[in-house]
Amino acid sequence: MVNLTIDGKQVTVSKTATIYEAACEAGVHIPVLCYAKKLMPYGACRVCLVEVEQMKGRLIPACTTPVTEGMVVTSTSDEIVKVRKTVLEFLLVNHVVDCPVCDKGGECDLQDLTYEYEVVSNRFEGEKFDLPTDEVNPLIERNMNRCVLCGKCARVCDEIVGYGSYSFINRGFETKIATAFDRGLNCEFCGQCVSMCPVGAILPRPFKFKARPWQLKEIDSVCGYCGNGCTVTLGTKDNKVETIRFNDKTGVNDGNLCVRGRFGYSFINSEDRLTKPLIRENGSLVETSWDKALARVADGLKQSGSETGIVTGARLTNEELFLLRNVAKALGSENIDHSGGECYKGLTEGLQQTLGLQASTATFPQVENCDAILSIRSDFYETHPVFGMVVNQAVRRNDAKLTVIADKRGKFTKLPEAKTLLHKPGLEVNLINAMCRVLLDEGLAKTERLSGVDELKAALADYAPETVAETTGVSVDAIRTAARELAAAENAAILLAYGLPYTAASKELGIAAANLSLLTGIAGRTGSGLYVCGEKNNSQGAIDLAVMPGATGLGAQQMLSAAAQGQLKALYVVGEDMVSSYPDRKAVELALDKVPFLVVQDLFLSPTAQMADVVLPAASFAEKDGTFTNAERRIQRVRAAVPSPGDARTDFNILSDVLSAFGAQAPATAAEAFAQLTADTAAYQGISLDMLGAQGYVWGTDILTPITRNLVAVAGSKPLDAAHQLLVGSALYHSGTMSTHAKGPMAVVSEPYIEFGREDAKALNVAEGDLVKLSADGEIIEAKAKVDNRLPQGVLFAPYHFSALGLNKIYRGQPAIAVQVGK
Amino acid sequence: MAESAEKLKILICQGTGGLASGAAQVAEAFETEFEKQGVEASIGKRCAVIGTGCRGLCANDVLVDVCIPGKEAVTYDFVTPELVPQIVQDHILGEGPIEKKKAGPYYEKFLEKQQRIIFSRCGTIDAESLDEFLEHRGFEGIRKAVTMKPSEVIEEVKKSGLRGRGGGGFPTGMKWSFCAATPGESKYLICNADEGDPGAFMDRSILEGDPYGLIEGLMIGAYAIGCKFAYVYVRAEYPLAIKRLQMAIDTCYEKGFLGKNCLGLGFDLDMRIKAGAGAFVCGEETALMASIEGHRGMSRPRPPFPAVRGLWGKPTNINNVETFANVSYIFYNGADWFNAIGTEGTKGTKIFALTGKVKHTGLVEVPAGTTIKEVIYDVCGGIENNRKFKAVQAGGPSGGCLPSNAIETEVDYDSLIKAGAMMGSGGLVVMDETTCMVDIARFFLQFTRVESCGKCIPCRIGLKIMLEILERITEGKGQEGDIELLQDMAYDIKKSSLCGLGQTAPNPVLSTIRYFRDEYETHIKEGECPSHSCKPLLHFRVIEDKCKKCGLCPRVCPVDAIEWEKGKVAYIDLEKCTKCTSCYDACRFMAID
Ligand SMILES: Cc1cc2nc3c(=O)[nH]c(=O)nc-3n(C[C@H](O)[C@H](O)[C@H](O)COP(=O)(O)O)c2cc1C
Ligand code: SF4
Ligand code: SF4
Ligand code: SF4
Ligand code: FES
Repeated sequence: MVNLTIDGKQVTVSKTATIYEAACEAGVHIPVLCYAKKLMPYGACRVCLVEVEQMKGRLIPACTTPVTEGMVVTSTSDEIVKVRKTVLEFLLVNHVVDCPVCDKGGECDLQDLTYEYEVVSNRFEGEKFDLPTDEVNPLIERNMNRCVLCGKCARVCDEIVGYGSYSFINRGFETKIATAFDRGLNCEFCGQCVSMCPVGAILPRPFKFKARPWQLKEIDSVCGYCGNGCTVTLGTKDNKVETIRFNDKTGVNDGNLCVRGRFGYSFINSEDRLTKPLIRENGSLVETSWDKALARVADGLKQSGSETGIVTGARLTNEELFLLRNVAKALGSENIDHSGGECYKGLTEGLQQTLGLQASTATFPQVENCDAILSIRSDFYETHPVFGMVVNQAVRRNDAKLTVIADKRGKFTKLPEAKTLLHKPGLEVNLINAMCRVLLDEGLAKTERLSGVDELKAALADYAPETVAETTGVSVDAIRTAARELAAAENAAILLAYGLPYTAASKELGIAAANLSLLTGIAGRTGSGLYVCGEKNNSQGAIDLAVMPGATGLGAQQMLSAAAQGQLKALYVVGEDMVSSYPDRKAVELALDKVPFLVVQDLFLSPTAQMADVVLPAASFAEKDGTFTNAERRIQRVRAAVPSPGDARTDFNILSDVLSAFGAQAPATAAEAFAQLTADTAAYQGISLDMLGAQGYVWGTDILTPITRNLVAVAGSKPLDAAHQLLVGSALYHSGTMSTHAKGPMAVVSEPYIEFGREDAKALNVAEGDLVKLSADGEIIEAKAKVDNRLPQGVLFAPYHFSALGLNKIYRGQPAIAVQVGK
Repeated sequence: MAESAEKLKILICQGTGGLASGAAQVAEAFETEFEKQGVEASIGKRCAVIGTGCRGLCANDVLVDVCIPGKEAVTYDFVTPELVPQIVQDHILGEGPIEKKKAGPYYEKFLEKQQRIIFSRCGTIDAESLDEFLEHRGFEGIRKAVTMKPSEVIEEVKKSGLRGRGGGGFPTGMKWSFCAATPGESKYLICNADEGDPGAFMDRSILEGDPYGLIEGLMIGAYAIGCKFAYVYVRAEYPLAIKRLQMAIDTCYEKGFLGKNCLGLGFDLDMRIKAGAGAFVCGEETALMASIEGHRGMSRPRPPFPAVRGLWGKPTNINNVETFANVSYIFYNGADWFNAIGTEGTKGTKIFALTGKVKHTGLVEVPAGTTIKEVIYDVCGGIENNRKFKAVQAGGPSGGCLPSNAIETEVDYDSLIKAGAMMGSGGLVVMDETTCMVDIARFFLQFTRVESCGKCIPCRIGLKIMLEILERITEGKGQEGDIELLQDMAYDIKKSSLCGLGQTAPNPVLSTIRYFRDEYETHIKEGECPSHSCKPLLHFRVIEDKCKKCGLCPRVCPVDAIEWEKGKVAYIDLEKCTKCTSCYDACRFMAID
């Protein structure tokens, strides 16, 4: 700690603090423009200049200068004010000052500084900027006539996003921020640059002329897309979500978001939202009243009773999932499940058998300080982009060594010095086994408290690095180095995401990852962590609340088979489009077709809902109160910002009514439900709503200590023998099927595609945009080709989000699908 | 060695300047001539044509020394290949030096007040020869340094009083001690050879003329600080310097002088050249490091200083070429020897690059304490065309103009700053009565304005506005209050800019206002340029008593606006004149205003 004086006030701050940070602590206001808490010190704008007694004769930038013991700082003097004012005059000479039509007006740092320093006239004159604006893409508008060259956009895109869209070009007064070759912006569209720009030079296009900032109401909530659980602050006007506001004070994401979080909110306002209950009459769905619809549901479910199946997605709040479980109880059914019932088994069975846990062992922010990071699958960035940004920061700022076990290249593999273990599809477990073997062979394994060491050793006989290198196509050295680096690191992380497109060997993969985390000591060690992250916003909540089949109950897949065989009387599907996203569409359709009574509760008339007997219009996350638990066990509050469209109601409401229909007691409010569910869930016990502060509440504390330390042997796979193999997975711009109803993500990736590597494309004579057909097992899917250099030869990729592609006609949960390519 | 002592040597300046003037052809002519005339046989000695580094008097290139064993060396200047046969015939084979072609007494005078220490090997030895370097005390310095503890080496440098030659004049020993004191395994040493000041080329000269000497200086620094890797950041516009230095580095690696266990002395040092990015600001140390890291050359705030967090985030020490060159000599001759040269605050010699309206432009090395006046008049022969001295710009675009009443200022960091200029890299631009001081300020601002990296607001925007005000003054559109506005904003820009570029760029404006305020006022109030040099303010009148009636101007006027008859003063018909300035540019007597 360091003591210093600012404007006569004594402060004690950490020795890494800057004068500016110390001043904030002391409650002394120093103006800033180019400073951003989350970015590296930069020092360009010079409005934060102060005087320091020990550095006489010059003015010192507060935002970059580290404090030293005994420093005496003056934040304001006539000289300082004069210099600041001159700097502002300079800025205003060529700036267009078109505040009346600038969306930033009212929350613009330049406006505010001009006002604060009363720059009413300007001693200098010059021509106004007249640069063309960049409006090529639908999401981000760049108007460089307003730019103050604080560099924040370029810095955030580089330091945090790791994309590097922008760079400074030219020199002197002609300096400007430009994209590569000064073309239009074409990037991840995460909008971090939008959120950082202190002026109106980078703006969200969907928000143009929608509202003045001061007209917006702000509601802090949690993003309804992925398991990252980013705080989104909804900006609403006239009961409509108009934008996502920048907020780096609440939540785990430091104000960072991905394209889905920042621009994907528009599904809330989608025209396609269901606004009225529908009921099947004479074969077709017709609008009806809630009373009638609910009566029909109650009737139907009463009849099916314990032979009802309940399937949900992992997008509901904890409170709603709790109610759903109570519905199952009321029906006397143990057939309840979520997310296809398979993909999460790495967690529920894999980690359970090894660590005795069903959750990640540490929190996201810790990863920034990791020395070594192993990402299983390059897609981790696609499923959890904002956590991915933490990884990027660890790599860029702290030189973390990143290894990616990858069946294709991706954002992670492009990070500086990242090592990619590019393997043949489906062989992740083989590689992890080999790494475990290296640790054991080389005496690097921390085996003291582990059980099953000998059994594992014996089982790994077939996984010598040399053997695995041969099967997987990864070099022996790379395997060894990866294992050694992970073992040597003081702080290390292993990342694994799960979700519907990653069903294959999910349990085995979870076990393998857990084995590795035990042998390296990562599981449970402070500063390190094993992260097994669910794809959806409340995947972890669904597991915590045990939305899974009871001892005698059927899981999702079994319910479908049972239904297909006429052994299930009713199916209640809440917030899940099984037809579009579950493996094996044919089987799903058959089951839904066969089941006598199908209730679907959703935001949209999805292909699943279209098959229902009753469709109940539900509410989006922006319309409800409750909690989500993210993939690092952080319980955070979700808050209603707008009313639901038409007659749509929250799942909480609907489920309460269903419960009442069975004479069961339902909690009156989400808060009451939270109290009940925490009492009912071991890990949540003792947690109350007011404990969920600005950063939420991480159950089980930041580091979750393994209950058991069992090594469990798992077998790897054999490579698929096929000239062309299709991988199924997630794409950054989308999450599940929900984002396909949102304008933002759809503006960037609007239709399904089949991705080819350049070599294959050339050999197959396929060009970007060509319509291509893939056939497998007598089924054919068709989409436009996308050509780039992510994929090894013989490997293709298709994202699973688009129902129209019918990808799950050929995807049945395989690690890779042998396909024939045609045009 | 005995053999070479017996040799007849022809020393030819093969620096960039020499080569530009045809040094290669001259060398070739000597070789051909020796062969043709069978010189070796006739005089019974081996003959060697040796390419040396620059010897300073660049205005008179090509300079050739003929060294016949046992006789005093004779220097010829303005040598062309055509002259070579005559030199060989008359001087070497014949009776002796060709007096008429010898460099005049000015060459002796040019050397007299100089003290060529750093340049002692430049221009006298074959820059590309390791053997010659070794014959001239090469690597004695590092051999001596390793007999001391690293901390003692730093003490020795401190004791010498050496201050950085890169412009700032920071005490070198102290800088080394900071970096040495920062904990860390890997530290970097950087030699700043970006030399961006217009007109300065002393660093180039050292790189081209004594590359091994620079390597030795770097070795000493690396040993003292504990660096295992050194970068030499050389301006990309210096291909010859890069080539020579690369050759020297390669040779050192071959001989085991660099790499592991350098010279067998028990320390490791790798060295690599990094070609510069072609921007003035890349000479600024933080921008330079950004550039080595592959980023855009943009300055970064200090602290943290490079000694704490420099290249790739590691402790780094950066010094100028001339600084490192000095280090070698400090270890040849001892700190006390060095400390005895110069003034109280500035020890050793300083190299200056003279350009502008001075007779002998080129590089001179003088001990600190010499006055600027001595440099201009005694060493460099005074003002060209015997015009009147007006001012000298010392320190390049960051420096200031000194008028005649300030040129008694000594070559000394502190005295120069007190006088309103600075040592900078050692550029001296000499101006005579025909130079307009507002225009000079404009010239330097024009340079810094485009060279600003664009990062910080005061430099990026402020310099442009300053330039625009200067431009309007030189166009006669200056406004009441412009001088005060310039001073005021100059002060704010200096105070608030991030790096040395912006912090010093207003200096030429401030110093010209300080010493030549009346010129500014005349421009603004009367719309006149007292030096008749600002073109928009010309009247296109012939000044009768200056006109020599030569009749040149009517010949260059494209619109026939000038009337002239033999023996008469020319007359410009303003009705016809288009103000193209052809006549003004052509007149050798400044008779048109
Ligand atoms: C705009 C600017 C340009 C500079 N250019 C050079 C240069 O070309 N060569 C140089 O040695 N130092 C240059 N410097 C100074 C360097 O930043 C640094 O102070 C110097 O290399 C330190 O070496 P020294 O301690 O040996 O003087 C420049 C500084 C500024 C602000
Ligand atoms: S939207 Fe994101 S990826 Fe695109 S330029 Fe901005 S910060 Fe970079
Ligand atoms: S566009 Fe905005 S964030 Fe980027 S440099 Fe300009 S003002 Fe800063
Ligand atoms: S002073 Fe000029 S050169 Fe230096 S950082 Fe600022 S803009 Fe760049
Ligand atoms: S906020 Fe400190 S320099 Fe910009």
